[in-house]
Amino acid sequence: LNAAPGRAPRQRVRFLPAPAPGGGGAVELVAARVPVLADHPLVRGPRFKKLKIGAGHRLDVKASGVFVLGVGHGNKLLTDLYNCHLTKVYIVGGLFGKATDDFSDTGNLVEKTTFDHITREKLERILAVIQGTNQKALLMYSNIDMKTQEAYELAVKGLIRPMEKCPPIITAVRCLQFALPEFQLEIHCLHETQQYLRKMVHEIGLELKSSAVCTQVRRTRDGVFTVDDALPRTQWNLQSIQEAIQNCQLKVETELERTLG
Amino acid sequence: RRGLGVAAGPPSTRQLREAEEAAPVFQYVGKAAKRKDRVFVWGFSYSGALGVPSFVKPDAGWKKPRRIQPTPYRLETEEKISSAACGYGFTLLASNTRDITKVWGTGLNKDSQLGFQRSRRDQTKGYEYVLEPSPIPLPLEKPQQTRVLQVSCGRAHSLVLTDSEGVFTMGNNSYGQCGRKVVEDEIYSGSHLIHQLKEFDSEVVQVVCGQDHSLFRTRKGSVYACGWGADGQTGLGHYNITTVPTKLHGDIAGVNIIQVSSYGDCCLAVSDEGEVFGWGNSEYLQLASVTETTQVNVPRHLPFKIGKVKEAACGGTGNAVLTEEGNVFVWGYGILGKGPNLMETAVPEMIPPSLFGWSDFSPDIRVAHVRCGLSQFAALTNRGELFVWGKNLRGCLGTGRMEDQYFPWRVTVPGEVVDVACGVDHMVSLVRSFT
Repeated sequence: LNAAPGRAPRQRVRFLPAPAPGGGGAVELVAARVPVLADHPLVRGPRFKKLKIGAGHRLDVKASGVFVLGVGHGNKLLTDLYNCHLTKVYIVGGLFGKATDDFSDTGNLVEKTTFDHITREKLERILAVIQGTNQKALLMYSNIDMKTQEAYELAVKGLIRPMEKCPPIITAVRCLQFALPEFQLEIHCLHETQQYLRKMVHEIGLELKSSAVCTQVRRTRDGVFTVDDALPRTQWNLQSIQEAIQNCQLKVETELERTLG
Repeated sequence: RRGLGVAAGPPSTRQLREAEEAAPVFQYVGKAAKRKDRVFVWGFSYSGALGVPSFVKPDAGWKKPRRIQPTPYRLETEEKISSAACGYGFTLLASNTRDITKVWGTGLNKDSQLGFQRSRRDQTKGYEYVLEPSPIPLPLEKPQQTRVLQVSCGRAHSLVLTDSEGVFTMGNNSYGQCGRKVVEDEIYSGSHLIHQLKEFDSEVVQVVCGQDHSLFRTRKGSVYACGWGADGQTGLGHYNITTVPTKLHGDIAGVNIIQVSSYGDCCLAVSDEGEVFGWGNSEYLQLASVTETTQVNVPRHLPFKIGKVKEAACGGTGNAVLTEEGNVFVWGYGILGKGPNLMETAVPEMIPPSLFGWSDFSPDIRVAHVRCGLSQFAALTNRGELFVWGKNLRGCLGTGRMEDQYFPWRVTVPGEVVDVACGVDHMVSLVRSFT
């Protein structure tokens, strides 16, 4: 960043003594535009000594996926995005038959159970109920009086969203793959932590009268940022970062305007 | 325990893997496990209609009487219940078993709407309030072969439909709603009389109770009625009472009716072609789309252009129909389900499917059934979710809150809801467990 050509130094008008056109020893003041010496690179030093980088929603050590970072002035946008309360999408992989103490497959084994009675239908029923109860929680925490016409209209459009601190809520769940003993879910949620998602996988196992552990948690969307916008490890260089920031600027602005007004 | 020659320290990966493979496997449920059928009740409990005696008379010192059960509560039954009906303060549960006991009743019994329940204190008298589902003795000719298909309850009378012995009626008969002659000064409390009705053009396939009248639908598609007729709810062309089930004509003559519904004083019928017919009370704009009069005593065709209708449900002041596409249309008066601004309409209005959980994420959610209580509505989706809306009289909606619900709201039931019966201040649901 420091090697890139910086801003041109500021100019200012100074009245400098110059020999008079007439000759002789007389000195008169002539206006001249000169660069400000304080802006000279040798005086100023490197432009960037530190960079303020802030992180968006947390991502576990064991999880992977989209992780939003803000650079410099972008940190202010980060707080605004947090207040927008947008949903995040995770792909969660699970394994039936085991139960561990930290709900993931690397923990200490607690119990092993059979799972041959589990079918995709049963799993989808459980997911439908999870969605249903979370839907209720969504409506309740959004702090709208249920008796108003406004609440009815928002409920019809599906735009009711809690706009303040609330416990984790899951807005949608779907089963993507089901091949005993493994299965994969797509979860849309708000205010969650990855450990909460792992606990949910464990609870789904319990509900199906078996047990389950979580093998993979991958965030595919965080608000407006999807996997397509994200930079993989090979692209962690200045050029790609700058391009990515520019590409996302418009999206972020429209979303903020829409939600926060 | 480790031996003396083994090093201490955290177990290696190989040791962990071996320990895991050696761990015992528990089986909680086998491959052929069947889903269990359960009954959940909620609403006002002091009438005994919920069937939980400890709510009314606590049997332990620490228990307190529970006047209202605001969320679904599981009711233990001896048999699998296939049909349930809620009346005005009482409930009937029926199973299609071949055992001797096929129908149980609980709640108000002041007019013997639950048959004769012999009191244990005085063997000559019957109970006026039954707090637990108690068997109703039906005078069947072949009790070990006949099956009960369906039950229905009105204000103070009940109907039991069997597969081969016709319809049994019991309870109040002051208006002939039990299908027999009115006996002056008859005392209904503690009565043993259960009347049997067999005179129909073909087998009866559905029985419906209005507030003080009864409707019977036969296999040939005709509708019979008896009982109170001051609002024209018997549909027989007059406003008097009818004591013998008589066939209805009017716009449904010759039409194959596949479903009838009633709970208050208005009645709706659906034909096999998806047309809706109505008669009875129209004070709340239920039939205002065809007539200005407030009582209609002959079935009239309701010319709604909403698509082919699959099912209809009549409440006290509001009606709902379900179309083949799975949309719910409501009209009438009261809390109809489209917010507090829509309190009355004569023309059916559709409830947006997004309120029942339909979205881009789950586009194949459809409403499968609609039911009506006196001032409540209930809808069942094809995923087994139950949505309720309407006046929350004494917690009958089951949402856990005591406020009225102006748009469809999910009821959290631990299972897939197969059927629901709505009453005045309580509801009963038949649920299958998930696994």
